[in-house]
Amino acid sequence: MIELVDVVKRFHDFLAVDRVSLKIDKGEKIVIIGPSGSGKTTLLRMINFLEKIDSGRILMEGREVGYRKDKKGRLVLEKQDVICALRSEIGMVFQHFHLFPHMTALQNVMEGPITVKKQPREDARRIALDLLGKVGLLDKKDTYPAFLSGGQKQRVAIARALAMKPMLMLFDEPTSALDPELVGEVFTTIKKLAEEGMTMVIVTHQMGFAREMADRVIFMDEGKFILEGTPKEVFSHRMDNARVKAFLDKVL
Amino acid sequence: MEVRNSRPGALTGALGLVILLLIIPAASHAQPDPYDILATATREFNSGNIESALNTFLTVPAPAQGEDGGAFVRSRMEAAKICFSTGEYKKSAALCREILDVYPENLEAKNLLKQIAAAQTPKWLRFLKDMGTYFPTLLKASGMTILLVLITMVISPVAGLFIALARISRIKSISFIFWCYIWIFRGTPLLLQLFFIYYGLPPLGITLDPFTAAVLGLGLNYSAYLAEIMRGAIESIDPGQMEAAKSLGMTYWQAMRRIIVPQTYKRLVPPVGNEFIALIKDTALVSTIAMVELMRAADQIFNTTFNIFILMQAAMIYLVMTSIFTVSFRKLEDRLGVYENR
Repeated sequence: MIELVDVVKRFHDFLAVDRVSLKIDKGEKIVIIGPSGSGKTTLLRMINFLEKIDSGRILMEGREVGYRKDKKGRLVLEKQDVICALRSEIGMVFQHFHLFPHMTALQNVMEGPITVKKQPREDARRIALDLLGKVGLLDKKDTYPAFLSGGQKQRVAIARALAMKPMLMLFDEPTSALDPELVGEVFTTIKKLAEEGMTMVIVTHQMGFAREMADRVIFMDEGKFILEGTPKEVFSHRMDNARVKAFLDKVL
Repeated sequence: MEVRNSRPGALTGALGLVILLLIIPAASHAQPDPYDILATATREFNSGNIESALNTFLTVPAPAQGEDGGAFVRSRMEAAKICFSTGEYKKSAALCREILDVYPENLEAKNLLKQIAAAQTPKWLRFLKDMGTYFPTLLKASGMTILLVLITMVISPVAGLFIALARISRIKSISFIFWCYIWIFRGTPLLLQLFFIYYGLPPLGITLDPFTAAVLGLGLNYSAYLAEIMRGAIESIDPGQMEAAKSLGMTYWQAMRRIIVPQTYKRLVPPVGNEFIALIKDTALVSTIAMVELMRAADQIFNTTFNIFILMQAAMIYLVMTSIFTVSFRKLEDRLGVYENR
C-alpha cells in the first residue's frame, strides 16, 4: 500500500534516517521500537510528509508520490494541495495529543471532515458522535481538552484521526506521555482498532504493542533497521544482537 | 384809547410770538450740542481725567421722542464702562438700564449687564457654571474621539493580522517589506506621522481632509503595533497545533484560520486592550491637525475661560472611556478563556 524506498533524512550533520526501506501492506500492523534518537519518529513523520526526505522515494499503491525534483536535482515537496490530499488519507496520533484546545471533544473530531472534506455539519457530527462512542467518550463530547485526563485526550485524538477515514494510522509513542494507570485505556482502544483490520504503524517503547498486536516488529538504531521480523523472531533473536539485548533488557 | 389800548396788546402778542419764534431756536441753539459734549468728555478721558470725563458724559441729555439718541447711548455706554472698570457695578448697571429704557434692544448694554452679573458672582461659582455651560460642547467633541477610536479599533486589528501573517511568511521579500513598515511606524512619533500625512502630503499632490488624515495616521500606527502583538501571539502557539492540523490534511491557511489564529484571541486581549486604552488617549494628538475632538474642544474653552475645571472635566470623560475599556476587556478575556482549566 505504502512503500518507503531508501529514504534518508539529515538534520545538519546528524543522520537521522539512513537509507531505510519499509513496505506497509494493507491491514498490516507494524511496531517500531528502539532507543531514543534512533530515528523512529522521524521515519513515521516522513510517511505523512511532516518530515521532508533528503533522498529516496515514497510510493503509494506503487506510484511515486509527494516529491518532484528541482533544477538542481534536489527533492522538493509537491504543491500544498497534493500533500494535503495525501495527508488526509493518513491518520496520525501524537505523543502529546495536540488536541485543539479551543474546541470541545466533539468539535475536535468534527474538524477534519468539515474543514478538509467539506462534509455537511450534520454528517460530520454523526460520524464524530459514532467515533466518540467507539473510544468510550460520548459523555465527554462537550468537554474541552483541558478538562480531560491524558488517556481521554489521547482517545479523542484517535477519534479525530479516524474521522478522516484514513487508510493508514500512524501512532507516535501514543502512551509515552501518559501516567502508567492511563496507558491501559489507550492501549485497549488501539488494540480494538487493530482487531478491526486497520493498517497501522506504531512507534513505541511499550513492548505490549509489539507482543500483542504486531504482525512485524522493527528494531531501529542510529537511523537503520537493526532487526526486523515477527514479534516471536525479534524477541527470541534478541540474544543475537548486543544492542537489541541491551535495549530490551532496559525496557522490559 | 380803546383802540390804542388794544393795539399795544395785540402788538405785544405779535411781538411776543415773533420773539418766541426767534428766541426758541436761538435759545435751543445756545444749548451745547450732545456730540460736542461727547467729544469733550472723550478728550477728558483720553487725557486721564477719568472723574471729570465721567461727569461730563452724564451731562448728555436723554433724547426726546424722535430725536437722535446716538450721543446719549454713546455717553452712557462709556460712563457705564468707566464705572465697570472701577468696580462700581451698581452704577454701571444703572447706566446700562438707562440705555435699555430708551433702546430695549441695545446689544452693547445687554452684554455689559451680563458681564456685570458675571463679575459679581464668585469665581468658583462662575467656574461651576462654565462646567454646565460647556459640558454639552465637550460631550459633542468626545463623540468625535469615540468615532476615531472605533474606526481605528476596526481597521487596525484586521490590517494588523494581515501584516502579522505577512511578517511570518516564508517569502522573504514580503516579510521584509512589512518589517520595514513596522520599523517606521513603531519607531517614529505618532505626532510626526500625523503632521506628515496632513501637512507633508499636500506638496506631493495628496490633500486629505483632517478626518481622513487622522483616521489614516491612527490606523497606520496602530496596525503596526497590533501586527507585532499578533505575530507574537501566533508564534507562541505550540507548533504541534500546526502539525496536528496538517496531519488532518489542512492547508496552511485552513490551519491558520481554524486552529492557530482562534487560539490567539484570549492571549491577545490583554496587550490589545492596552493598546486600545493608549489609543483613546492618543486621539488627543489629532487636535494638532485641525480635528475638533475632546482635547481640542477642552483646549479652546480653556483658552477663553482660563477655567481649570474644564480640563478636569475633559480628564473625567477620558477616564470614563478608558475605564469602560478596562472592564470590558477583562470580561472579554474571561469569556474567551472558557476552554482553559484554571
